[in-house]
Amino acid sequence: MNQTLTKRRKLRLESDSGWGYAFIAVALIAFCLFTAYPVINAFMISLQEYRPLGSTYVGLENFKNSFTDELFWKAIKNTAVYTLLTVPINILISFLIAILIIPFKKRTQTVFKAIYYLPAVASGVAMAVVWLWIFDPLKSGIANQIVMFFGMENQNWLGSSATAMFSLVLMSWLSSHGTAIIIYLAALLGIDNSYYEAAEIDGATFLQKLWFIVIPFLKPTTLFLLVTGIIGSFQVFQNAYLMTGGGPDHATTMVGLLIFNNAFTYFEFGEAAAQSLVLAAIIAIVSFIQFKFLGKDIEY
Amino acid sequence: MKKGLRGFTMLLTVIMLVSLLAACGGKNNNTPNATNNAGNATNSGGNSSESLEKDTITALLPPASANFQARFPEMEKEFNEMYPHLTLKIEPASWEDMTQKLDTQVNAGSPPDIAWVGSTAISKYAALDVLLDLNQVLSDEVKADYDEVPMKFFQLGDAQYGLPAYLAIHSIGGNKQFLEEAGIDYKAVQENGWTYDEFREAIKAGVVKDDKGNTSRYGFVFATSGVTSKDYLSIMAKSAGLPEYFDEDYKFTYTSKNFLGLLEAIRQMIDDGSMPKELSSIDAGKRWNMFLTGQTMITGKGLASFENSARLNNEKIKANDGSAVADSIEAEYIALPVPSFNGADYIPTAVVDGFIALRGKKEPSEAHLHNIGLAIHYLSSGSVAANFTNELFLSPVSESARNAEVLEVYPRSEENLKADEIMMSKAVAARTDIPTELAAEAIKIETEVIVPKLQALLADEISPQEMYDAVKAAAIKSFGEDGVVVD
Repeated sequence: MNQTLTKRRKLRLESDSGWGYAFIAVALIAFCLFTAYPVINAFMISLQEYRPLGSTYVGLENFKNSFTDELFWKAIKNTAVYTLLTVPINILISFLIAILIIPFKKRTQTVFKAIYYLPAVASGVAMAVVWLWIFDPLKSGIANQIVMFFGMENQNWLGSSATAMFSLVLMSWLSSHGTAIIIYLAALLGIDNSYYEAAEIDGATFLQKLWFIVIPFLKPTTLFLLVTGIIGSFQVFQNAYLMTGGGPDHATTMVGLLIFNNAFTYFEFGEAAAQSLVLAAIIAIVSFIQFKFLGKDIEY
Repeated sequence: MKKGLRGFTMLLTVIMLVSLLAACGGKNNNTPNATNNAGNATNSGGNSSESLEKDTITALLPPASANFQARFPEMEKEFNEMYPHLTLKIEPASWEDMTQKLDTQVNAGSPPDIAWVGSTAISKYAALDVLLDLNQVLSDEVKADYDEVPMKFFQLGDAQYGLPAYLAIHSIGGNKQFLEEAGIDYKAVQENGWTYDEFREAIKAGVVKDDKGNTSRYGFVFATSGVTSKDYLSIMAKSAGLPEYFDEDYKFTYTSKNFLGLLEAIRQMIDDGSMPKELSSIDAGKRWNMFLTGQTMITGKGLASFENSARLNNEKIKANDGSAVADSIEAEYIALPVPSFNGADYIPTAVVDGFIALRGKKEPSEAHLHNIGLAIHYLSSGSVAANFTNELFLSPVSESARNAEVLEVYPRSEENLKADEIMMSKAVAARTDIPTELAAEAIKIETEVIVPKLQALLADEISPQEMYDAVKAAAIKSFGEDGVVVD
């Protein structure tokens, strides 16, 4: 009896599927520990008034408080505005840069890829310090030197509601395109040359080739960048935290920053967890809509 | 797949998993749980000399002064020589990380035994029930070592949640040469203070414009951005008849007309051209740079140690040292009190930082609590306190620190020393009676309404009346019509 069992176990381990399960287990356990468990725990905390030495169950009170909090809706609005202003334009900028890089030789392409990817490797804090210097409100600031060259007055970039959000958006437009450029370049290299050759035989212009060949072929890549870009943008925290602190007068308070403040300034972990789950639901709905309407004719 | 390769891959897989799990675990000797267990072990040991059983006390401390963290190994050694059965383990943290690191540990239920905090944070931790009352372990003799005013800052009700490290006055500071050029009798101001009207005229006189009419030097610049965002208003409010958020009847005070008067004054100083219109974006580094480069006559907030920073920069300029602040000029720092508003008395903003005792999920044993008492007193008194207060140009707040010798003597201006003494003599003890729920609600109004609205006021986006109305509405929402001051 025992011999038969041992034989069976041995067979199971020796078969490829057994090893497959064993290897999958690593990722699965990591996922359970670092993704599934925190999400489930966040849901539990969202139903509690969290205290380190003993929490109390409060039902849906934290969700109710969030939905009736004006600041929460303002933060949602700010995040949506930031996302609308940054994600599509960033994708367009990355696409244009990739188009400009693709005609170069491989080595030159690599140099450009490295240059554009450099900000992603640099510390976010260091980048924020540089941008704070650029947005110096006094006349000596770099951004102010530029606007004053055009005859305008110096601007209080991060200290005025009129310019604070724009400053964060500008910061996003002018940095962090490295990943998207690399993905676009990989996709562009995947388009077979025969399409371009056929188009040239038909006398297609550069713009026609772009419109009828490149853009349709890059649609899955664009959808991927759009979905991941919107998810990342909805979770934006660092720039608002380091550059403006959410001010002035909450003009740049994003949901991520609000959640952070609730958790680590007021120790309202329950409300922070509830808001995190609401944010996750919003992101899921937006992503679903994108796949539903933009992903119809895309094959993977 | 060959057997050997499979086995090797499996081994790597197991190592990876174990590494992941090990990273999640982490119950080592450094954790407070381990130290608490040590304390429990002493209890269960049944030894007659319980407190002499081995124990470890952990502390999370920032770079309170220039050489404070460099002395940690010596401090650990000295403490162990004083109490051979005890080990003091000090974890250094940067100022940037300190609060976040502590808060994360507190909320995970495993804080260090001792942590450095500003006394204003006590109500926050008290609301979480993680503070330890040291009354039971500190003898009367130990308590008598500390000055009464700073000691009160670490009390809530009857509980003594920690011990003070120093008391610092948040003041303002001027450039001696510019003050004299503007005709300001700074010695009289140091001695007698000044009213807002006198101050307003003085900073107007300090403004210098270039040939094109552009301001090349402001009369007054105060840091209002970043970590200093709430300093400006709170420091001025102390001397505007608003010494605390709550009056004796626990009514929220920022709804009084004094608050509106202060906001109007804050706006006036910018409209006069005495302060930059970009004030809402000036952070602590920028305003100090403006002081050293001669772009402002007076700067805030000011600390006693700024005199030394200015002196060191002056020496670098004289020595033609390239590390002096770019474009800086020689500047002699003069400590000045903030003006008083609305005809109120001058009350300096006294900042008391110090050490609190914390507990985790497990109740610490009596022996462990006693040992925390020994360690916290060691850190906040004697030569340890004498040296960090000396490096910060502050006066010690304990008798034992005053009597201890310091490692290095720094030169100080007699005028500033006297001015600081006058300001310190006017410091008032902290309120220990304000319930933690009220204090927490006030902090929320401060963060969500007062600071953001102040930024908008400084940027000229709302009027003082609009800011006053917004704060009043938020206060009534939180405390009710009867919970706020109406005058």
